[in-house]
Amino acid sequence: MDIQFTGEHLLPGKLGQFFIVLSIGTSVLALISYFFATIAKDKLDLSWQKIGRLAYRLNLVAIVGVGACLFYIIYNHLFEYHYAWSHSSKILPVYYIISCFWEGQEGSFWLWTFWQGLLGCIVIVKAKSWENSVMTIISLSQVFLATMILGVEIFGAKIGSSPFVLLRDAMEAPIFARADYLSLIQDGNGLNPLLQNYWMVIHPPTLFLGFASMIVPFAYAVAGLWQKRYTDWVKPAMPWALFAVMILGTGIIMGSFWAYEALNFGGFWAWDPVENASIIPWLTLIAGVHVMIAFKNTGHSYFTAAFLVIISFVLVLYASFLTRSGILGETSVHAFTSMGMDTQLLVYLSVFFFLPLVLFIINWKKLPITKKDEDTYSREFWLFIGAVVLFVSCIQIIATTSIPVFNAIFGTDIAPPTDAIQHYNKWQIAFAFVIATISGFSQFLKYKQTNIRKFFISLSVSFVVAIIVTAIVVYVVDIYGNVMYILMTWAAIFSILCNGNVLSEAFKGKWKLSGSAVAHIGFAMLLVGALIAAANNKVVSLNTTGIGFGDEFAKNNNPRENIILYKNEPTKMDKYSVTYLGDSTSGVNTYYKVNYKVTNSEGKITENFNLYPNAQQNAKMKQIIASPDTKHYLLHDIYTHVSSVPLKEEEHHEDHEGHSDDENYQKPVVHEVVVGDTVRFRNGFLLVKGINKNAKINDIPLTDKDVAIGLNLEVHANETVYNAEPIFLIKGNAKVDFGKKVDEAGLKLRFTNVLPEKNKMELTVYEKPKEEKKDWIVLKAIEFPYINLFWGGTIVMVIGFILSIFRRAKEVTGA
Amino acid sequence: MKKSSIIGMIIIAIAIGAIVSTYADSSTYGSFSEAIKTKKELHVVGKLDLAKEMFYNPQQDANYFSFYVNDNNGENCKVVFTGAKPQDFERSEQIVLTGQMLGNEFHASKILMKCPSKYTEDKIEVTEVSAQGKI
Repeated sequence: MDIQFTGEHLLPGKLGQFFIVLSIGTSVLALISYFFATIAKDKLDLSWQKIGRLAYRLNLVAIVGVGACLFYIIYNHLFEYHYAWSHSSKILPVYYIISCFWEGQEGSFWLWTFWQGLLGCIVIVKAKSWENSVMTIISLSQVFLATMILGVEIFGAKIGSSPFVLLRDAMEAPIFARADYLSLIQDGNGLNPLLQNYWMVIHPPTLFLGFASMIVPFAYAVAGLWQKRYTDWVKPAMPWALFAVMILGTGIIMGSFWAYEALNFGGFWAWDPVENASIIPWLTLIAGVHVMIAFKNTGHSYFTAAFLVIISFVLVLYASFLTRSGILGETSVHAFTSMGMDTQLLVYLSVFFFLPLVLFIINWKKLPITKKDEDTYSREFWLFIGAVVLFVSCIQIIATTSIPVFNAIFGTDIAPPTDAIQHYNKWQIAFAFVIATISGFSQFLKYKQTNIRKFFISLSVSFVVAIIVTAIVVYVVDIYGNVMYILMTWAAIFSILCNGNVLSEAFKGKWKLSGSAVAHIGFAMLLVGALIAAANNKVVSLNTTGIGFGDEFAKNNNPRENIILYKNEPTKMDKYSVTYLGDSTSGVNTYYKVNYKVTNSEGKITENFNLYPNAQQNAKMKQIIASPDTKHYLLHDIYTHVSSVPLKEEEHHEDHEGHSDDENYQKPVVHEVVVGDTVRFRNGFLLVKGINKNAKINDIPLTDKDVAIGLNLEVHANETVYNAEPIFLIKGNAKVDFGKKVDEAGLKLRFTNVLPEKNKMELTVYEKPKEEKKDWIVLKAIEFPYINLFWGGTIVMVIGFILSIFRRAKEVTGA
Repeated sequence: MKKSSIIGMIIIAIAIGAIVSTYADSSTYGSFSEAIKTKKELHVVGKLDLAKEMFYNPQQDANYFSFYVNDNNGENCKVVFTGAKPQDFERSEQIVLTGQMLGNEFHASKILMKCPSKYTEDKIEVTEVSAQGKI
């Protein structure tokens, strides 16, 4: 009994599914062709390679086809598709429709496979003698990624999850028994409001480009083992490794910036498992890049270089497993929920783990592992040590992040540390100290051997200057209370000085070396910026007036970090005088205008700015989703978000003229007044000052016969005086009046009638009910000092990477 | 001894140190009755008790939020959180509290909620008034 459903658009889905199958087919074909091309005896026979190239390029076309179909579906709001229904809605602007695209797991897998397809095509053009072996590995990875969005059941096991599943197939509900069910579904579920941020348009593609590009150095390292070209893989892999590190680093910091700008957890890094998952492979590949350089220059540390490059991609896969399998469940707020693809992800992970492992074992005897120790005063030795320290720091992050995995494997029930940030910081600051120090003094070392006397002389200058600068810095930024912070600051400054030294050499003509120096300076700035901003951020909205909830509560005194602001009542907050001025709604967001003022001792206003933290109010769900607003100064930021606001009722708050606005007020009180009278109300009194016989009303032209009288009132409330002039109008035979509101006093005043026989005027006073009298918001504000060092350091570091990529890419073509 | 083996040993020592510290710092999942016994901070997993009062009145104190939670053993306890009421709190289907017992109240320093948020919930909203209504 088939139902003929009406209004469905099945073509884009069918076409998309066809492209998915095509992408799997072409990637398998590319894998097989490149494999045979690699093992072919006759190196002149290019037929396999030709097929491989064609298949891989077709694969990219198929992937673009999948993307186009999916985008068509989301863009046209075809809610008969589950993906469109669950991730988008009609009210979203176009640029957020792009974010919808990768909000779900399927879309983010598509992004990954797209980048991998594109990068593979570049490798085809550039790799020359490496093409066949490297492309075999990349095609293998492409096969795995393609199956992630297949969504077909084979032998009862679900392979992948397709973005083209129809809503009626994805879930069960009685409406699907109706042929016209689609007409009942007016809108999709929409995009998570936290993701409706411009950073969410750009951050995921960058991050996934970073993840995807890690396959290339991995493939070179594995191909080197496979083809027994143990040493020459480093040179062509080098620019790729630098590229991956640069892009992934940028992606991670973009995520951090998004968290800082759009989320209200009050910081830029929280050691959340999802964040950790992305930084672990980044750190290992950074370590890998350094050892690769050492190996290229001296022949030392072959195994470490290959191992680190390989493990980095394995850790990318491990990171995907962590974030996509739902295993992080109770420890992370960000992770995806499970889609039943755990096994598939694990197979992908194991293949890419065991394949190089087996190759290592087979080739072990022949690997170019040096028996001789490096000289202690040589650059390669300290490159190696630095890489090892980075790797150990990763082990620490992995160990804590993987607690849920250990729980799953061993059936234990261990909870993560109660203060995770403290736990990570205490280890990572120590590691960062060592790494920054090494990145400093190793600049004075040369490969193979260094003149020890010269080394210590040049070192001592930077060493001493760093101590002096550190003393000043820690005093100025106020972090001298903590020994670790002082050491960390010293190490970073030392590194900046040492690398600055190298950079000054670069200005004299050794341009080649500038890339690493710039990147190191950026990294050191980033470390210092993160340290100061994280260590010294200060909640400025401390509540000092809190009303006690008994001694028991006061004893366990957590800092009271939220403060309530009533509309138009300035509140003292640290050095600021803060006033909530009102709200305005634009689209789904309500913006709360908060004014900050700093007055110096002479009563002059030295700082004056408004912030507009916003909250998405969802009256239906009785919830708010708050986003911060930040005032950026060169040396510090003032970060503000609302923690709680009165929920708006859907109908009431619209203050349109004439629209049952009076419901917002208590029962009106009618007074008969003459000039000079005083009328009392709950919060104060008002004086009838006079009559304006020539009152004017906007937009209403008056003729001679019309009478418009204004009543001059002086309202005394909240120790302030407000003026209001309600108007009474006789136009022709009609009596109309125009009320005036004094919101600050919670009043609405109407001049409702003139009583000539009594020689009095009728004034009707509307008062807001007591509890609704004042609008309020609960606010949290944090001052982040020197956070621009963190962002600025990132930019400098990326510039350094770009310089290095150019240098290393030139080495490849030059060779 | 070769330098590399010394370095290797130091690394292994640090790595072991890091892992041990992970477990020294790690906490435990427990119930309210266990929280009464121990002085340490721990994690309690439970569900919000919607039948009892949830109290947050920012006009009185913007940093006091109290509610009742049934832990996984079904034990009910009042929880106090020094801070603003988290967004979307009522809709949480599972709550992980970090904190300790103080008198009869559990003082949470951190609340982690798992919400079937609007954006992952598979619930179709039907706009037609008469027909089946909400599913």
